[in-house]
Amino acid sequence: MINIKLNVNGKDYSLEIEEDKRLIDVLREDLRFTGVKEGCSEGECGACSVIMDGRIVNSCLVMAVQANGSSIVTVEGLVKDGELDPVQRAFIEKGATQCGYCTPGFIMAARAFLNRAKDPTREEIREAISGNLCRCTGYNKIVDAIEEAYRYEKGI
Amino acid sequence: MIVKQAKSVEDALELLSHYGNCKIIAGGTDIIIQMNEKKVQPKVLIDISKVEELKKIEEDGDFIKIGSAVTYTDIIESSIFEGNLSGFKKACRLVGSPQIRNRGTIGGNIVNASPAADSVPPLIALGATIILESKNNIREVKVEDYFSHSETFGIREYEILTAIRFRKPKGVLTFAKLGLRKALAISRISIAALVELDKDNKVSFVRIASGSIGRYPMREHELEEFLQGKVFDDAVIDEAVKVLQGVMDVRLANRSSLPYKRRAVEAVLKEALGEVRK
Repeated sequence: MINIKLNVNGKDYSLEIEEDKRLIDVLREDLRFTGVKEGCSEGECGACSVIMDGRIVNSCLVMAVQANGSSIVTVEGLVKDGELDPVQRAFIEKGATQCGYCTPGFIMAARAFLNRAKDPTREEIREAISGNLCRCTGYNKIVDAIEEAYRYEKGI
Repeated sequence: MIVKQAKSVEDALELLSHYGNCKIIAGGTDIIIQMNEKKVQPKVLIDISKVEELKKIEEDGDFIKIGSAVTYTDIIESSIFEGNLSGFKKACRLVGSPQIRNRGTIGGNIVNASPAADSVPPLIALGATIILESKNNIREVKVEDYFSHSETFGIREYEILTAIRFRKPKGVLTFAKLGLRKALAISRISIAALVELDKDNKVSFVRIASGSIGRYPMREHELEEFLQGKVFDDAVIDEAVKVLQGVMDVRLANRSSLPYKRRAVEAVLKEALGEVRK
């Protein structure tokens, strides 16, 4: 067992964990942020994507110990004062979700991208979600939603 | 398994010499998968992902030094790899996905020694060396030798790859890759070229390296010899494709992938050499 400190969705946690746990295991099992989904366990599907210190990462490919001292944002951390994040709102309004399993990962990848994006093209949006797989809807509505979220944020 | 977070290179080397059956983890994008599948089961995992001295990209006179825990994203966002070095950025941009590029490290790409490691051909074309440190020793090994003579030059049990170093080139570094799809694709063929042209448009210096056209990333000496001193025009580039195909016919003889790769290599080599002129 080892002690680590994490800040998840703005709250500080001090945890005693088994050393062989990955970040996804701690987020889901210890802290119950079950919006973080496990898909492939090898960094191909992106369902476990979270924002770690401002960067999108696969939480299945980070050992929990490596996240010691880091700030993590999961999909549960996006709602502010009861208001959905613009990305969440746009996913709903554009119908960019079907079974929903990949959705938290896509939303986090989109959020991380939009935090740095400037007038993104559809091609850049596709690049930004290239580490996320959806097996239901196809990707057009997801790209539409991310474009829409950018417009919401810019008020255009 | 126990996990130790190294605070410095010295600390990591001390841990490495103290424990047996250790593995180093940096970005974790390969080793966590191997551990999850129980293919690798170290007693001790030494994390170097937060060692600051391994995360720097530095210009030191005529040389550039990249710490081994520098991520692909760090390289893509660095102002050092502009202009004649932008081919290195291109190679890093084509690795994996944003998630992988944010964690995967340049040192990991080398020590895992995948034949398809995207960052390796550009480093070979640059004539880069790697620095391997253990508690009592430091070795500097050429990246190309690391792969071609791994028994002599490969990393040893008590060593850590701490940095990659190369002399700033005069020529232009380019990179081209063929993957089965754009994202997360393992390279089927990749080529990096470092070419310097004189005032008469003749090749005055050339170093070319390939990935996935053999068991490991390697120099393409025959191609270099052919191009050396030639006027760098379309006709010569067409001829260069034939030279490389000839090399592949021998190297990949009896491989089922040969008919596909010898055709596909044309576009990859033309892209890599074509970018020298842009």
